[in-house]
Amino acid sequence: MMEVEGSMNRAPDQSSFLRSRRSKALYQFKQQKLPACKPVLTPISVITVFMLMGFVFIPIGLITLRASRDAIEIIDRYDVECIPEEYRTNKLSYITDSSIPKNCTRYLKVQKYMKAPIFIYYQLDNYYQNHRRYVKSRSDQQLLHGLEYSHTSSCEPEESSNGLPIVPCGLIAWSMFNDTFTFSRERTKLKVSRNNIAWKSDREQKFGKNVYPVNFQNGTLIGGAKLDPKIPLSDQEDFIVWMRAAALLSFRKLYGRIEEDLEPGSVVEVNLMNNYNTYSFSGQKKLILSTSNWLGGRNDFLGITYLVVGSSSIVISIIFMLLHLKNPRPYGDNSWNKKSLAS
Amino acid sequence: MKRFVYINDDEASKELCCDNRISNRKYTLWNFLPKNLWEQFSRFMNQYFLLIACLQLWSLITPVNPASTWGPLIFIFAVSASKEAWDDYHRYLSDKKANEKEVWIVKQGIKKHIQAQDIQVGNIVWLRENDEVPCDLVLLGTSDPQGVCYVETAALDGETDLKTRVIPSACVGIDLELLHKMKGVIECPIPDKDIRRFDANMRLFPPFIDNDVCSLTIKNTLLQSCYLRNTEWACGVSVYTGNQTKLGMSRGIAEPKLTAMDAMIDKLTGAIFVFQIVVVMVLGVAGNVWKDTEARKQWYVQYPEEAPWYELLVIPLRFELLCSIMIPISIKVSLDLVKGLYAKFIEWDVEMIDQETGTASYAANTAISEDLGQVEYILTDKTGTLTDNKMIFRRCCIGGIFYGNENGDALKDAQLLNAITSGSTDVIRFLTVMAICNTVIPVQSKAGDIVYKAQSQDEDALVIAAAKLHMVFVGKNANLLEIRFNGSIIRYEVLEILEFTSDRKRMSVVVKDCQNGKIILLSKGADEAILPYACAGQQTRTIGDAVEHYSQLGLRTLCLAWRELEENEYLEWSVKFKEASSLLVDREWRIAEVCQRLEHDLYILGVTAIEDRLQDGVPETIETLRKAGINFWMLTGDKQNTAIQIALSCNFISPEPKGQLLMIDGKTKEDVSRSLERVLLTMRITASEPKDVAFVIDGWALEIALKHHHKDFVELAILSRTAICCRVTPSQKAQLVEILKSCDYRTLAIGDGGNDVRMIQQADIGVGISGREGLQAARAADYSIGRFRFLKRLILVHGRYSYNRTAFLSQYSFYKSLLICFIQILRFWNQSFQFG
Repeated sequence: MMEVEGSMNRAPDQSSFLRSRRSKALYQFKQQKLPACKPVLTPISVITVFMLMGFVFIPIGLITLRASRDAIEIIDRYDVECIPEEYRTNKLSYITDSSIPKNCTRYLKVQKYMKAPIFIYYQLDNYYQNHRRYVKSRSDQQLLHGLEYSHTSSCEPEESSNGLPIVPCGLIAWSMFNDTFTFSRERTKLKVSRNNIAWKSDREQKFGKNVYPVNFQNGTLIGGAKLDPKIPLSDQEDFIVWMRAAALLSFRKLYGRIEEDLEPGSVVEVNLMNNYNTYSFSGQKKLILSTSNWLGGRNDFLGITYLVVGSSSIVISIIFMLLHLKNPRPYGDNSWNKKSLAS
Repeated sequence: MKRFVYINDDEASKELCCDNRISNRKYTLWNFLPKNLWEQFSRFMNQYFLLIACLQLWSLITPVNPASTWGPLIFIFAVSASKEAWDDYHRYLSDKKANEKEVWIVKQGIKKHIQAQDIQVGNIVWLRENDEVPCDLVLLGTSDPQGVCYVETAALDGETDLKTRVIPSACVGIDLELLHKMKGVIECPIPDKDIRRFDANMRLFPPFIDNDVCSLTIKNTLLQSCYLRNTEWACGVSVYTGNQTKLGMSRGIAEPKLTAMDAMIDKLTGAIFVFQIVVVMVLGVAGNVWKDTEARKQWYVQYPEEAPWYELLVIPLRFELLCSIMIPISIKVSLDLVKGLYAKFIEWDVEMIDQETGTASYAANTAISEDLGQVEYILTDKTGTLTDNKMIFRRCCIGGIFYGNENGDALKDAQLLNAITSGSTDVIRFLTVMAICNTVIPVQSKAGDIVYKAQSQDEDALVIAAAKLHMVFVGKNANLLEIRFNGSIIRYEVLEILEFTSDRKRMSVVVKDCQNGKIILLSKGADEAILPYACAGQQTRTIGDAVEHYSQLGLRTLCLAWRELEENEYLEWSVKFKEASSLLVDREWRIAEVCQRLEHDLYILGVTAIEDRLQDGVPETIETLRKAGINFWMLTGDKQNTAIQIALSCNFISPEPKGQLLMIDGKTKEDVSRSLERVLLTMRITASEPKDVAFVIDGWALEIALKHHHKDFVELAILSRTAICCRVTPSQKAQLVEILKSCDYRTLAIGDGGNDVRMIQQADIGVGISGREGLQAARAADYSIGRFRFLKRLILVHGRYSYNRTAFLSQYSFYKSLLICFIQILRFWNQSFQFG
């Protein structure tokens, strides 16, 4: 290495090379002498870097965790409770029998003050919206252009029924979630907004304004929700939310927003229609009310990660420091290497 | 097997194979694509990528767009194919140029101008000065009345000196006009690639000469790609054409060398492939099980009840595709690119340009730079590699008197100059041998100076020294030599030349003194090849001492000898010699035997000592490289004493008491065995001590050791860090490389002469010094450098950089691919195999 640097002036026709900056750079490249720097990982610098990382990450973690804890969440699993006692042993027969009324009432106690807007989600667990067969079974072109678009082979096996094309086609549309919820407090209905729950881009770009459901849920097998054939797809926001398939097998989807504040101690009464079948594959259904803050909803993961990384950095730096104090090695000493070479 | 060539007879030669079309091409326009694809797909990695790409075409299983594999794959293939095509196109162009060159030939007695590719075997080809020889010819006539012409054979063997070629004795004196109508038959061996041998016979048909068989040797040929020099014209009959010429036969694509890193990458790829298959099997089985137990319950997926037969394969194949990035497709292209750059860095390096000649380093093999950083053994030649190969005559010992001992230069020794002027017989004879016992050609330059064209540097040094001592070799006119001594011209007629071979280790000439008609034998050679043949009465003790003394000073020694021959002794012998020279089989061996019969009872005149200076920076380079843990072996054809002396002066071995030299010698199997045993014992004992122990072995003992004690010798090779092998032949050099390679050492061979070519090709890395002994070694080598000291930079800077960079690049490539792949695998587990 020493040689590389030391020999610059010995180059014979160097002057001709250095005529301009560019040819100088080229010369340096060709002679592998381009200026470069490389951090030297001495014990001191490594200890300092780890220490600094710890000092920066721990406060960030604390702040994030605090923010996450500020968001208040009420979670209620209702799929088991909403089945009458007599059907508990055979849930499947209850959910598939359309003659049995499916309504159910749940009471949610508010522990802490919740400030509007309060987001309403439904959560499905063990539901594979990311299954390959399922994800592929849709036609984005048809959602935008409707019947005009006829190449819907990707929608198999829900492409057509009774010889007529289905709009919207495909398994995702066919299996749409169809539980409904209404919310009241002390006999008065809560103000719930059901608009603006889908992405704006989806509404405007991906779902046609002139596309109306046709021949939907008319087959022998009925999947999930039915759609109003008089409303264009771009206005059916529950549908648009559902069509955005989740990546993980446990997911939440936005149902609406409560536009009033909830006092601590108050009880929210939820009237729901328990229509959707998760019983055949032992899935779970949950209803969630959640406030949000500057970090979004309640999620401890980020904060905990920061804390774990930060504290392990400090532990590592302390270990390194102790090792360094016990076995100090002067910079550039390679006697250990010589020993291994000699043997 | 023999071939009969009928001179000037189209009908008879027709069935004798091809025309003179040269083809170095690997492909034709039609077979390029299939052949190139076939070659590329013989690599495991490429087969793997093709399989993946084909699987991706099946839309049922592919998770990605097929273009993501086809794109890079086609790119990689296009890059390799166009590189091949480009090389091949250039070969085609140069072939075409050579094929369409216009030449003069004689057909049915008429001179015609045709393209070189239309030359048939048996045609008479005419060449003018500075023409390139289009095919292998047997010389029939030249402009020189004695039938001599000169050729430059640089393209063939890399030697830049001019060589003499003579017409066969049967053709001497044939008139220019008659040459056109010449008829005859040449009996020659089937085409081979030995450019130093041509054992053939010629018989001319009447009316030329009676049915006398005339022997032909390589001296009577003009080989393809040589140039005619210093001769107005020459003509010859073509015997080998096209790809059957000596050059055409010796062409051939050398086996590509693989680096340790390449082997490692191949191994790693195989291992990753196995791992990938395991992962795919586990995930595939689990996926199928999950599908049958869980997925059928997911009503929203609507699994069909009926499934096609290949259903079980679908999930494993999908996993295969998802895991296919474990083996990075980019690694081959990236490595090729960076390796090309390493080679360029070596060529660009201004510190590796030889200031004297202006030659830069050159990397002929771009693929093995990183092995430079892995070298464990360097096998080096001595002459021209460690030394300058600039021979200078320094001292001599004539008739027991040492000259040049005081001031180190015999040319300025007053005592010697006095002896010359006083006309001492021994001294004058000594000078005569120096001046004419050689194959040097004096060329009168335009300024009037005499320039010598010599095949060996030693001969050059001797002739020049003789000239400085007033014995000037003025001119060579066919067999007539002219020497100017003290103003008078002395003429000698050369009768025979008994050539130098590495087995004989001496050369002699038989000359006739034109003044008094005496026939004299002049010999020069290595001491052990001359001294045993001294005449009975002479004491060779002082000569032996002189040789010993000079070699201890690191000088090269030659013994000069002289004998007057009786007229009839010569004539008797000359018949036998002629007979041996016209043999088709074992000619070389027979000639050596016949020569032996003449070279005895020699009167030893004295010893010459020639200095061969060390190159600049050799000791420092060797010391630095040894500090880097690299072991050195010196393989030389030179004498043991000279070799040891040079080894001492360039830090190769340390003097006592720090170093110790262990000799392995002996002439018989038992001697060598005992000696080897002893050395091995010492080696084992001293292995732990910090002492430089080196063994010295000569070619003879090496032969025996390799034959009978191969195992012991291999152990010795592993134990010793330094070795000096002297008096070794080119094939022994290659054998030694082979032994070290078989012990799994990375070897680098460095040399400069034709005798190093085999060792250079054999070693993992061959380095040639583009020096004075021609370009043969540099041409065969992977790297050629101008000076030995550049080896330090080549290994320690370029080798290390290349090794580190390639290691980083390949590790990073695999790391990156595996990382991406593991993210996916982890997700499969996490999601309980939802990819049904």
